[in-house]
Amino acid sequence: MDLVYFLIQQTLLFMIPLLIVALGGMFSERAGVVNIALEGIMVMGAFTSIFFINLTQTYMSGNAQLLIAILIAAVSGMAFSLFHAIAAVNLKADQTISGTALNMFAPAFAVFIARIVQTVQQIEFKNTFRIVEVPVLSKIPIIGEILFRNTYITTYIGILILILSSVVLYKTKFGLRLRACGENPHAANTAGIKVELIQYAGVLISGALAGIGGLVFVVPTSTNFNATVSGYGFLAVAVLIFGQWKPKYILFASFFFGFMKALSNSYASIPFLFALNIQSNIYKMIPYIATILVLIFTSKKSSAPRASGIPFDRMQR
Amino acid sequence: MENYAIEMKHITISFARKVANDDITLQLRKGEVHALLGENGAGKSTLMSILFGLFKMDSGEIYVNGKKEIIDNAVTANKLGIGMVHQHFKLVHNFTILENIVLGVEETHFGFLKLDKARKRVEEICKKYHFDLDLDAKIEDITVGMQQRTEILKMLYRSNDIMIFDEPTAVLTPQEIQEFMEIVKNLKKEGKSILFISHKLDEIKEVADRCSILRKGKLIATVDVDKVSKEEMSEMMVGRKVNLKVDKAPAKPGETVLEVRHIEVAGEKGHKDKVRDVSFDVRAGEIVCIAGIDGNGQSELIKGITGTKPLKAGTIKIMGQDFTHKSIRYKNTHGISHIPEDRHRDGLILDYNMEKNMVLQEYFESRFSHAGFLKQKEITEYTDELIKDYDIRSMSGPTSIVRNMSGGNQQKIIVAREMTKEHKLMIAVQPTRGLDVGAIEYIHKNIVKQRDKGIAVLLVSFELEEVMNLADRILVMFEGEIVGEFTDIQNLDLNELGLYMAGGKRMPKKEVA
Amino acid sequence: MKKRKDFAPFISSLTAIVCGLIIGFIILCISNPTEAVAGFGTILTGSITHGAKGIGQVLYYATPLILCGLSVGFAFKTGLFNIGGSGQFLIGAFGAVVIGLTCPQLGPFQWVVGLLFAILLGAIWGAIPGILKAYFNVNEVITCIMLNYISLFWVNMTVKGSKVLFNTMRNESKDIPKVATLPKLGLDKLFDGSSVNSGIIIAILVAILLYIILEKTTFGYELKACGLNKAASKYAGINENRSIVYSMVIAGAIAGLAGGIMLLSGTGRHIEIKDVIPNEGFNGISVALLGVSNPIGVIFSGLFIAYLTAGGFYLQLFHFSKEIIDIIVAVIIYFSAFALIIKKFLERIKEKKADKSVQVTYNMHDKTIAEKKKGA
Repeated sequence: MDLVYFLIQQTLLFMIPLLIVALGGMFSERAGVVNIALEGIMVMGAFTSIFFINLTQTYMSGNAQLLIAILIAAVSGMAFSLFHAIAAVNLKADQTISGTALNMFAPAFAVFIARIVQTVQQIEFKNTFRIVEVPVLSKIPIIGEILFRNTYITTYIGILILILSSVVLYKTKFGLRLRACGENPHAANTAGIKVELIQYAGVLISGALAGIGGLVFVVPTSTNFNATVSGYGFLAVAVLIFGQWKPKYILFASFFFGFMKALSNSYASIPFLFALNIQSNIYKMIPYIATILVLIFTSKKSSAPRASGIPFDRMQR
Repeated sequence: MENYAIEMKHITISFARKVANDDITLQLRKGEVHALLGENGAGKSTLMSILFGLFKMDSGEIYVNGKKEIIDNAVTANKLGIGMVHQHFKLVHNFTILENIVLGVEETHFGFLKLDKARKRVEEICKKYHFDLDLDAKIEDITVGMQQRTEILKMLYRSNDIMIFDEPTAVLTPQEIQEFMEIVKNLKKEGKSILFISHKLDEIKEVADRCSILRKGKLIATVDVDKVSKEEMSEMMVGRKVNLKVDKAPAKPGETVLEVRHIEVAGEKGHKDKVRDVSFDVRAGEIVCIAGIDGNGQSELIKGITGTKPLKAGTIKIMGQDFTHKSIRYKNTHGISHIPEDRHRDGLILDYNMEKNMVLQEYFESRFSHAGFLKQKEITEYTDELIKDYDIRSMSGPTSIVRNMSGGNQQKIIVAREMTKEHKLMIAVQPTRGLDVGAIEYIHKNIVKQRDKGIAVLLVSFELEEVMNLADRILVMFEGEIVGEFTDIQNLDLNELGLYMAGGKRMPKKEVA
Repeated sequence: MKKRKDFAPFISSLTAIVCGLIIGFIILCISNPTEAVAGFGTILTGSITHGAKGIGQVLYYATPLILCGLSVGFAFKTGLFNIGGSGQFLIGAFGAVVIGLTCPQLGPFQWVVGLLFAILLGAIWGAIPGILKAYFNVNEVITCIMLNYISLFWVNMTVKGSKVLFNTMRNESKDIPKVATLPKLGLDKLFDGSSVNSGIIIAILVAILLYIILEKTTFGYELKACGLNKAASKYAGINENRSIVYSMVIAGAIAGLAGGIMLLSGTGRHIEIKDVIPNEGFNGISVALLGVSNPIGVIFSGLFIAYLTAGGFYLQLFHFSKEIIDIIVAVIIYFSAFALIIKKFLERIKEKKADKSVQVTYNMHDKTIAEKKKGA
């Protein structure tokens, strides 16, 4: 039984950043802007916020510090994604190329600045954020074991972001307008909606969430940041597609991807999996293969936002 | 002073030096149904787009309810109570009817959508106008007629008193058209002022009070519908004068080259068929012209014959050989030449140079290639030859990039290419669209030359002058069907033809084998 | 008229380069004002001031850049975005390593067979997104990204799992024996101390070959026609699906070749077992954009970026790291995204002018431009 809890806890650690970043990507794509820059934005968010932790750790620690770091990650991610918004919305540039540029810029920038400030490119930080046990709640059977022991505050933030995202997307005026812009911006425009404004909002939200995701990815799994998020941004794009651009499926997809990652990391310590003798790389590969298969099977009736990736041109009717 | 809902005074607008609206004055009385009649390119849609704030006019004034207004976007138009149903509906396909209606004017409660009040109001409106709609149905799942009603509901929900309909019946089935007419009558009863664009005379006769007729960007007249006949309206729409004259001897039709039997082409998903049970022949040495107003299935008919669109039913034969299921390449190389409707989209690769475009249909033939390599010298020589024969002008001859050439010369490339390559049937769709008089005359002459060489020519044109000038036989297409055939072109009454084109008259369907 | 047309893409590339360099300089200034000018000077001149070795290094760095640029650029010509160059590169590298380590019996042909195997694997890897795009309408960008990671994990697994291929001590693939590496053709004597080898010659030959394919053959005629105008290609009876697959197969083959060449260069490059995909494929995007996808243009843009990279290597003499080059290249890509727009805009103005000069009115082209945009 402990093994199951361990696996689920591991899964949570891997899935939460995926969940947050994929939800970010969802806001951008459902407003009609493809965002493959998620990887770069994650790096940027992780870089600034971990730098902050590094600089303040002599006189700060614990979850207060982490919360401020999360805020910093969100703001820097948002600021960085602004470049994508300008390219995609104002200048109607090719969104894939702009995203590629951002992906290339972020790690180079992180290494460059880190080297200048502290001569080594790795940014060390002390992990003082682990919550061993939440009082009272950890006593709840099963759920207490999974959610309230050996956990991070980021898990709760991830769950909060999931709930907020679904509510905003489906229950608010902004969500309705955002979805309209991603499907049929011309219809939205004639209904009096400022399409450009909504698309900006979509990209910036994705920036903020991807920035947070970058930090959330690094904190539980490492004690230093080396200008990379190991392709998690691209994996989040896969989660987004696998999740068919919908919050509830994204939750499922990120769980599946997180679970595969957890297996690849810890299968050796689980006797029956070890006996199966499946290499960790197989588990790592499965999410990407699954995404391609999903794409093949849904190609007839894709639920991708129809206007995603197509620059909105007011004069064209 | 009369009480007008809308007054558009002296509206002028031009695109790329072509005047689309020339000093047009249009007055919409309160509570009337006012039709806007005209051929394609007469300027109707442009005029309405100006009124709805989508285009900016060069000069003129707009008054709404007696007050001068500047309408620069859809929001302003909406605030002034003007609503518009576009020809292509502006609906989000995976939203429900209700969501589409409230989009842009949502009511909220602490930032959350509040749909129950809106639902109640929409239900009331539905009841009043006898709309039977499931408000929670998604747009992609409902019929085109229902989608149109959703658009009307959008206007009613926004309390628009002035409603513009852009060719509202073009996409509807006959029953839906009848239902739509009833809706318009009801709207009028409720005191709405309605402007509606059409080129169908029956509809105008049925619901409109007055009708403004546009021709070539100018207002011809505004008439009371019950005081004029369909014939008179048709006459005003098409005009009488035929400017151009092409010298041609009477046709000497030979054997049948193209044989089309019972072909059908589907429309977009959820729309009605674009071509319905069309059959005809074209014989060697005659020019058969398909006349009709744009959008009545002509483009789809040609796409079905040439193979760029799949046929739903029917057969096609060339010289007695079955071509129905042949590939495009086979058709191109076994007798069909085709001057396509949109030269930029289909006929040319604009970023290729002239010589590469000249061999677009033949680059793979042994004349122009050897073992996979293009025979550059032959291609250049061939192009030089055609440049001379067809007087194609450009900056740097065969290597000119086509994008940088004028429209007339671009079209000449296509004409030269399609007329020179070996063929039995020449299909030309709107071959002179957007060209100047000199180029038009030139192309017309060449089409007649083709006929005299014994080629079968199938011409689609929306311009009556062109039809009258070139045709040896005219087929009129309306709503995807052939509704009339004329062989005695010399004594054909133009107004009669216009009547067929606008659906005012039709001949019984000919029985064909 | 014709000349001006040919200059337009050159100018847009130049604009992007200048913007990239300016922003790079600004970043140097902000981070360390006292050494900024000297550092920037090193970026611009570092490679030539270090003599024959410097130039040799430029050629060495340029080899994978040119090949990956050709791969991306070739796909661009058919209207496809090959962001999967990295995966194709890696899988090609793997192919070369397998032959290089397991087939000594091939003797002097070992490196040739190694490269051919790299090409084959790259081609297969490129065919997948091509087939999915052509017959299942799956966006090639997404498939390519997924395949990048699949190839990474697959190669890691296979190398690590093989006693013949894996160097346990260093967690990477074993050294390729000298006999299996590419011939130097005397280039190492010419550019003494550098890592240059016959790979650069292969890259240039491939560029010329692609140029001939694109410009002189009916096959290239069809591929380019599909990329420039799908509707017109259909009208002319060209099989678009087949063109898409062939184009991706060739793009994959070239990127695979790049991987093969790098691993058989005998310059200490190995397949390292870590969860990072090689950068070469992404660099190829910038090279292709700068070279406006023209094979000959790609040779020059590849050399240019290699030149910057080699210069950046000497930056460490100052207190800067070589990542500034990646920053500059990223900015260049970013501005290249607009450059396409600027180019279209210039063309549109020119079109209007040309139109006026012959006094022809036609209202079609506004509509066509709108449609083109929709298609893009």
